[in-house]
Amino acid sequence: MAASMTSTGVYVYGVVRADELPAVSAEGVAGATVELLERDGLAAIVSRLPGEFRVKRRDLQRHLHVLEEAFAETTVVPCAFGTVLVSEADVEEALLSGRRDPLQAALARLDGMVQLNVKAVYDENELLRRLISGNPEVAKLREESGKLGDAGYYQRVRLGELVAGLVEESRRQDADAILAAVSGTVEDVALDDPGEYDALKGSFLVDRKRVDRFDSKLEELAAKLQPVARLEVIGPLPPTAFAASATAT
Amino acid sequence: MAIATQGTASNYLQRAPSPSGLAEVLDVILDKGLVIDAYVRVSVIGIEVLTIDARIVIASVDTYLRFAEAVNRLDLNQTETAGIDELRNGGSSAKQKSEGVLEGAKEKIPGLGSSDKERSR
Repeated sequence: MAASMTSTGVYVYGVVRADELPAVSAEGVAGATVELLERDGLAAIVSRLPGEFRVKRRDLQRHLHVLEEAFAETTVVPCAFGTVLVSEADVEEALLSGRRDPLQAALARLDGMVQLNVKAVYDENELLRRLISGNPEVAKLREESGKLGDAGYYQRVRLGELVAGLVEESRRQDADAILAAVSGTVEDVALDDPGEYDALKGSFLVDRKRVDRFDSKLEELAAKLQPVARLEVIGPLPPTAFAASATAT
Repeated sequence: MAIATQGTASNYLQRAPSPSGLAEVLDVILDKGLVIDAYVRVSVIGIEVLTIDARIVIASVDTYLRFAEAVNRLDLNQTETAGIDELRNGGSSAKQKSEGVLEGAKEKIPGLGSSDKERSR
């Protein structure tokens, strides 16, 4: 079919079991009203997109708020941000009927689960101090590049490269320690690429009943990692990082 | 739930019930979740650009030079007080930097003809 400039679409936030979510009051993407489309025991959380649609920063928040509202009520399989189908018929047929089994399996797998996003953030100075104290090559290059000033470009690059390698090594060790500490309390892990000064960044799928245990493990770990790194945990969140397996047919 | 409580005595474990900044929201909803086959999906231009810009990580000589500068700035014998001040400044500037990048990503969106949608069936 030819590309269309004028057709509106149906924005999909996620899928729940039919009758488990009466309504969603949060404002949808582009300010639209959020509705539920039911078929075969499943319900898609959707809203209509206007013809002249532009993605705005607020739409990211709206997508998340709709998911959070649904997640507060029941188990939800979240869709990726920007999931737009052509018509309501496509939502009912291609999504709800066509993927009924994998969606039901995903719902069963996510029942009673929450997502906790964890980031271990290095303190730049504390980390560097730990890495370079007692490293003779770093000390030598620091001295040389200091003496040479602007002429020490090569020494500066070499020094930075050396330190970057040490940071990488440190990141591997600390990430392993974090994963080992929480391994007994999590169902699944989805790691993201860490930022320049992160030891680890990822999402953990945790049974609601084990959230307190997970939290106390992180608390212990935070005490060990300080002052070189601090931990940030966000959640409980809808399990956005663990819904992808529902695509398997 | 314990996780929903804000902060701890130590401050080495920070808790938040929901993402607050743009970067955190992106972490939760971008490229995450159920992905539906392209043949029933409408592509909304703007989202892809947002994804790419927000995820670019530059690993280059610039990064190495930044490390070198940071190491050279560091006085290993500095007093604890000076250290903490420097840390505070370092922390906030790093945050501003990442927010700056994300703001940049955001700015690109309105310029796009993002009302164009294609149906590739």
